[in-house]
Amino acid sequence: MSTLKAIINEHIEWRRQILKLAKADITKTYSGAALGWAWALIKPSMTIAVFWFAFTYGLRGGGPVNGFPFILWMIPGFSAWFFMSDMITGGTNAIRKYRYLVTKMKFPVSTIPTFVALAQLALHIGLLLIVILIFIGTGHFPTLYWLQIPFYMFFMLMFFIFWAMFSSMLGAMSRDWQNLIKAIKQPIFWMSGILWDVNKITIPWLQKLLYFNPVTYFATGYRNCFIYDTWFWEEPLQLGIFMGMLVVMVLAGFWSYRKLIREIPDVL
Amino acid sequence: MKKDIIIDFNHVTKRFKLYKNDKKRLLGVFSKKVPYKEKLAVRDVTFQVARGETVAFFGRNGAGKSTILKMITGVSYPTKGTIDVRGRVSALLELTSGFDPELTGRENIFLKGQLCGLLDDEIKSLEDEIIEFADIGEYIDQPVRTYSSGMRARLGFAVNVNIRPEILIVDEALSVGDKEFRSKCLDRVNEVIENDNVTLLFVTHSTSTAKQFCKRGIYLVNGQLKYDGDIDQAIALYEDAGKAAKRRRRAKKELALAEAEFARTGSEEARLKMEEAQKKLDKARAMIRELNKVGSEQ
Repeated sequence: MSTLKAIINEHIEWRRQILKLAKADITKTYSGAALGWAWALIKPSMTIAVFWFAFTYGLRGGGPVNGFPFILWMIPGFSAWFFMSDMITGGTNAIRKYRYLVTKMKFPVSTIPTFVALAQLALHIGLLLIVILIFIGTGHFPTLYWLQIPFYMFFMLMFFIFWAMFSSMLGAMSRDWQNLIKAIKQPIFWMSGILWDVNKITIPWLQKLLYFNPVTYFATGYRNCFIYDTWFWEEPLQLGIFMGMLVVMVLAGFWSYRKLIREIPDVL
Repeated sequence: MKKDIIIDFNHVTKRFKLYKNDKKRLLGVFSKKVPYKEKLAVRDVTFQVARGETVAFFGRNGAGKSTILKMITGVSYPTKGTIDVRGRVSALLELTSGFDPELTGRENIFLKGQLCGLLDDEIKSLEDEIIEFADIGEYIDQPVRTYSSGMRARLGFAVNVNIRPEILIVDEALSVGDKEFRSKCLDRVNEVIENDNVTLLFVTHSTSTAKQFCKRGIYLVNGQLKYDGDIDQAIALYEDAGKAAKRRRRAKKELALAEAEFARTGSEEARLKMEEAQKKLDKARAMIRELNKVGSEQ
């Protein structure tokens, strides 16, 4: 409990600096590049184009879903994945990347995952605006269901802040952890239904198992807004299981933080 | 009259866990059974520093100086004991003061200022002063990663001394700058000490520089506080210990040479040489013992 209080206090006291650091985190990545901000969009666009091509013409699996062309079906889930993908590895590297804050000055380490996640969120929102433009441009106008995008976005942010707290501590302790996470990112991508429709799985236990995967939950959640016209409360089982997973992640984050916060400065 | 204590270092011990490798360290997070070695970097050290005091820390590499300063900065945590620091600490640890290598010097001035709790307007008013003091020319708008260690130290010093600290910690930072910059720093530090009543903690191997700044000296051996008091006395102890260690090293070498010669020739001359070297070694050892005793009586 005291840890929680300390973390909250640190966030309140340093809120100004958290925003500045998030801003610096973004500018750092893109300043100095000739195309600057455009890179934030070029990278995801390329990926989506390649997968769309492979699935539509190569594997011939990509037929229309729910009346939407396959590429439009793909985009919302994929845009969520870009955020999650960057958080899975970027979150793990967060403390190492900002080691100068940990080892050279007094700085609340618990805020590092937060501002790293906020920086990613800003890019994610930019990408999502493009997605919305694409939908409108192709004649799919906003529906009431789009209103729940902030709901999924908020919980995705929360989940991955706690993930980053958990993982960046371990990542700072050992490079093995970083490599492990890098290695399992690809499997996570292919197993989570970013590229295929989870609802089409015919093996019931496998489908149930995927409910426990938060990555699936968010990718499907974004599609619920754009494609399936489903409210989040219409899938209570998935919602309940996700909330359970969130609690697990929060506890893991606290555990890792409490256990390692005093050791991190000595090993970096 | 009770002095205004700004740093209270109370029976502090710092223990490092040394694992064999990264993998073992990761496993050590999950299980207590993973073996590790312990290194005591600081052993039961107690001292207090009053506001406006100037303290130099002496000791050989690994004596625990930097560890102590890191704990005062709040970067590192003690294993045992308590540390109470009341005041804004500005630390120049190991040459850099926490610069983001990807940001430019100017951006780093702002970031550092913000992290120290200054408002944008306050930093703007300090910006010119800092840049002028650092005197690194066009490089101020280049990423810090392109800086030489000298430039980094210049900027670090300029930032730290100008953001109005209450406690200024300087760890070896002046050893890289050129003579002119060093004397500029000395003047500036003297200025803030006199005008703003800043507390200075200073680590250096240059005893003459320390003497210019500091009135009090703390001498550490193997993480233990051996002497805490007058700067001249602390310097004398530190230098004597250095001399004694040098003598012991020399005597050991001589002894080894003489032993080898004796083994080869078996001559009387070599035997005498051996005895002489042994005597020197004993003398050096006695000197070290004596020095250690002086320390522990304090």
